Amino acid sequence: MATVLQLPATRIADDLAMKDVDAWDSLKHMELIVSVENTYGIELSFDEIVAMQTVREIKRVLRHRGVTS
Amino acid sequence: MDLNGKKVIITGGVGALGRSMVDGLVSDGAAVTVFDINPQEFDSLMKAHPAVGCVECDVTNYDQVLAASAGYHQQFGAPDIVINNAGILYSSPLVKISAGGIEKHDVAMWNKVLSADLSSVFYVTVCFVEKMIAARTRGVIVNISSVASSGIPGASAYSAAKAGVNALTAAWAKELGPLGIRVVAVAPGFADTQSTHAATSARALTDTVSKVPLRRLAKPEEIAEGVLAAIKNDFFNGKVFELDGGLVL
Repeated sequence: MATVLQLPATRIADDLAMKDVDAWDSLKHMELIVSVENTYGIELSFDEIVAMQTVREIKRVLRHRGVTS
Repeated sequence: MDLNGKKVIITGGVGALGRSMVDGLVSDGAAVTVFDINPQEFDSLMKAHPAVGCVECDVTNYDQVLAASAGYHQQFGAPDIVINNAGILYSSPLVKISAGGIEKHDVAMWNKVLSADLSSVFYVTVCFVEKMIAARTRGVIVNISSVASSGIPGASAYSAAKAGVNALTAAWAKELGPLGIRVVAVAPGFADTQSTHAATSARALTDTVSKVPLRRLAKPEEIAEGVLAAIKNDFFNGKVFELDGGLVL
């Protein structure tokens, strides 16, 4: 996430939300989604993509998909 | 991409170029649905291709596109391929000098051409890409551009619209590529169709043919073959496939 959003890794906390980060616009969101899919070898549904607008939600979706690391 | 079984939307599918594309797509096993403003041509199309779906739709009208795309989605889900082929040909100089003085390019025709050749591409694509992304469909958008996108004298509106189509192709390829949706354009030169002959004077057409190194107009099926090639090649993206016989070099 830090790489895609070009943020310091220290800023990637559970509360970090799309609405609070200028660089995290809809295009960056798509880039983030593709990066997550490629990293974990999964294909996210549209509902999951829409839901993943905070770090906490991203973690929740990934846990739900069985991603543990 | 293998076309067999792929769901394809093509706008303007009953015209000469569109019909050639439909023939090629059906031959390759695609499930084709035509969006066209001319329902009187649907019977002859369906006689030749009984499995092809036909939807009456004016693609210059966003509300009609929205309703037609929703109807398609309800029945078939998201398409795999969208071909933005509908459009009109129109030639007029910016100013016409005649015995009566100087006559300006008609503003209503400017708006009509931009609506038919550029806005329609946006309307259709935005409606179907929404469905494709929601279904995570990895597909292709094909925009039919033209050799006129480089600027043809006497065709301000058409040239501007097609240049706009090329710009949309590049912008959308960058936006949608990460999601697995390719966006490509095919730019025919002058093709041997009724609409070409209707929009271009015989003298201008003879002059144009003399500038084509192959010294002839394109056959509609040659343009259709280019469209199929652009769809099938999975690494062709964001670019304009120029099929003009070498007219612009």
